[in-house]
Amino acid sequence: MQKFKVTFFPDNKSIVVEKDKTILSAAISAGVYVNSTCAGDGVCGRCKVILKSGKVSTQPNGMISAEEKKNNIYLGCLTNIHSDLEVEIPVSSRLNFDKLTPEELEERLGSLYSKVEDIQQVKAEFDDGLFKHSPFATKLYLELSQPTLNDSVSDLERLYRALRRFEEFPVIQTGLFNIRQLGELLRDSEWKVTVTLGKRNDTVEIVLIESADTTDKNFGFCFDIGTTTISGQLIDLNSKKILGTKATYNQQATFGSDVITRIVYAGQADGLEKLHEAVCNTMNQIIRELVLENNVDLNDANCIVCSGNTTMIHLLLSVDPVHIRKEPYVPTANFLPVLRAAEAGIKINPRGLLSCVPGVSSYVGGDTTAGVLSSAIYKKDKLSILIDIGTNGEIVLGNKDFLVACAASAGPAFEGSGVTSGMRASSGAIQKVSINKDDFSVKYSTIADKKPRGICGSGYIDLLGALLEAGIIDKSGKIKVEDKRIRQTETSKEFVVCFKEDSDAAADIVISEADIENLKRSKGAIYSATAILVKHLGLEFSSISEIFIAGGFGTYLDIEKSIKIGLLPDLERSKFSFIGNSALAGARQILLSNQAMVMANILASKITYFELSVDPGYMDEYSQALFFPHTDLAKFPSVKF
Amino acid sequence: METQLVLEKWIGVISTVTIGANKEEGGSRANTVKIGGQSSLPLLFKEGNIPNRPVIAFEIWDTPPLDWPEELNSAYGKVLNDPFAWADKCVNEFKAQLLCVRMQGTHPDFGNKNPQEAAKFISMLLNKVKVPLVIIGSGDDAKDNLIMPACSEVAKGERCLIGCAVQDNYKTLVASVLADGHNIIAESPIDINIAKQLNILISDMGLSLERIVINSTIGALGYGLEYAYSILERARLAALSGDKTLASPFICFVGQEAWRAKEAKVDAHHGIIWETITATSLIQSGADLLVMRHPVAVEKVTKYINAFFDK
Repeated sequence: MQKFKVTFFPDNKSIVVEKDKTILSAAISAGVYVNSTCAGDGVCGRCKVILKSGKVSTQPNGMISAEEKKNNIYLGCLTNIHSDLEVEIPVSSRLNFDKLTPEELEERLGSLYSKVEDIQQVKAEFDDGLFKHSPFATKLYLELSQPTLNDSVSDLERLYRALRRFEEFPVIQTGLFNIRQLGELLRDSEWKVTVTLGKRNDTVEIVLIESADTTDKNFGFCFDIGTTTISGQLIDLNSKKILGTKATYNQQATFGSDVITRIVYAGQADGLEKLHEAVCNTMNQIIRELVLENNVDLNDANCIVCSGNTTMIHLLLSVDPVHIRKEPYVPTANFLPVLRAAEAGIKINPRGLLSCVPGVSSYVGGDTTAGVLSSAIYKKDKLSILIDIGTNGEIVLGNKDFLVACAASAGPAFEGSGVTSGMRASSGAIQKVSINKDDFSVKYSTIADKKPRGICGSGYIDLLGALLEAGIIDKSGKIKVEDKRIRQTETSKEFVVCFKEDSDAAADIVISEADIENLKRSKGAIYSATAILVKHLGLEFSSISEIFIAGGFGTYLDIEKSIKIGLLPDLERSKFSFIGNSALAGARQILLSNQAMVMANILASKITYFELSVDPGYMDEYSQALFFPHTDLAKFPSVKF
Repeated sequence: METQLVLEKWIGVISTVTIGANKEEGGSRANTVKIGGQSSLPLLFKEGNIPNRPVIAFEIWDTPPLDWPEELNSAYGKVLNDPFAWADKCVNEFKAQLLCVRMQGTHPDFGNKNPQEAAKFISMLLNKVKVPLVIIGSGDDAKDNLIMPACSEVAKGERCLIGCAVQDNYKTLVASVLADGHNIIAESPIDINIAKQLNILISDMGLSLERIVINSTIGALGYGLEYAYSILERARLAALSGDKTLASPFICFVGQEAWRAKEAKVDAHHGIIWETITATSLIQSGADLLVMRHPVAVEKVTKYINAFFDK
């Protein structure tokens, strides 16, 4: 087989691949991140590359315009390599992996239990009273009595004896690694050591033995592994303080934007490995930056708790997710034992432990369990709903007696992905918008008050509401007026939110009719899933006393506008609370308390999964929701345009 | 023992749409036609009021039809080459209460007549016949947006029924209908939700729901009639249960669909039966205005309607 060298710019990375491989697959092998929401099926048109030199063959497709063809632009996934190549990846095809600054994230994620209006004032605080402080990894300083002829128990039993003075641990385990070095270590340290204990399933394990007192250095990580966004926090396990928070796009995005595409990709040659590597890379990158910025030694990070949907957890652990996609949709595991983080490829202390929040089913994962845990809806007498708005939306309804959950595939639009000017909720993201009814002038505010770079999820909700209020779009989402801000492109009409010269973006910041269609489907999926769940249980929306909205939005979410566009049901506004990233908050609680971990296990087995696709009314409910606010206007009595 | 029928109590009423305006009303029509207005399921006279009978409109074209089968053409003969003579035959010989004129000759592929020509045609037709008119475009969105405003304007005051507005192209037509005092046909692709959404979009532009007639699109017997039947039925049930956004009368393009069926092209008898059965079935599920093609089928369906109402 002939082999050719392909060089990618501006990364200047090269790789040698076999003839006829596609440019996209070469880019993936070379570790160059190219946008590709369809995972190389040739339908999304996002992996456009510029051919600088070399010979290729390509298949005809509707994604490349005549103008682009002239400029040597090809679709990476449909273009095969026939010689050595030099390929430029244009900015528009790159995946943007820049991170949020800590301040932005503190605001963004620190919104537990605050009312929507207060979100920006309220500081993030872990709910202290809920669970007893007993972190996943605990350090104990021991001063052992030296062995004598009268007290001649072995070194290991001596250690256990000292430990049992603190607490009556029924079973203590120690790995061979620790036993091998124990004799020397105890004597070198003059019998003064710090033992790191990890809770591993029903036993206690001696994770690490160090000389002297290092109890003040005990850190852990919690993560929320989303299909689109991965967020992580570094926690001081002694003080329970959040030392830093970071989020970035999941590098798996290059293999498809939804879980189904990724599961399909996992079935291809090396697919699972590449997906696993991508999620580990993303997490390790966040971990690395968090320890560097906080001057923490990676060896003092002893544990990590991950919440994520079932597919993401399978991929993290390199477990084939193939059966999640096939009827009857059974995952390999919902409850996973505590593992060594290194086994999964996560770089903390080599002996550090990794726990995954248990999931409910193939499509309701540990992120939902964590959300239920942190929103505490399982403790309430009255009925509440938790709506987690993400690429895979999840809805949980219940109280202290029962909990029922369903999943809605909403797509990544509310995470700022798959929409023309979309971006994550990071600095420069437009998150509030108002439009003047008379001259269509736009007022907006951005995260961190930076020049606008794009629009984040909450910005899109605000923008849709404003477009409807100003009468720029009709209830089906079509632009119905003419103005200098409105123009016709090759494919659809668009409204300019911010012209290029006023922004930090490479082009005008716009919302197109196609974007609106996309957002309409996302909001329709969330609303209809919620409505079906309520109906399925024989309830009415009016019998719900609280609704918690979770999701990776900006620092705020406008409930009024969310109702106006039909994302949320039309109920008294005081019933709604925006709680930010509830999956991450739940993972943090589990990291800090064994009680929370026990509760998560109880919750995961208690939550009943409801499969929407078997409900005959779902499609009808969904089509009805594809309108602003809804085809049945009687369901939104307070909404007037 | 006598069986006691269970009677439903409906809270909704279908709006009454009047097509055509006479001299007193500012038009020049000899008669006007009312459709809708019922508060009961079709022909269930005991459940509510049914003030108006289903009505049949003869379909004519502004140009000789190209794809009509011989079995259908022979019912009209030479007049098909002269739209005015054709209209005249429908009204005087077949006693048409109203006409539905399709502006097929404006289609880019069928003559491509310009807006002035189209307007002139409508104006002459209004002079020639005195029955109310339903005017529909050729189905080419871009061209219809040029033609229909001209047709609407020249018929100002005649209270025509003009169509068809679709979800992706309704604004131009609604604006014309609004300005010139007509009624509008709102077309949706056998989808009750889109039918409802389109009614809302149109009424949002200021045209009242009482001036909308729904074309939920149909299929002929053997070609999807059951889907059409159930959509009409569902929409009507929703309307009678109080959903105002669906409380519009239905127009069904029966002739167009029936004569596309393979069976209709076997011989005239087949075609007539196909058109008749499609029409009578749809009347049972709620059709208020039927656009038909063969005079014998029209005659049979008229008899069928009258048999219910003349009891």
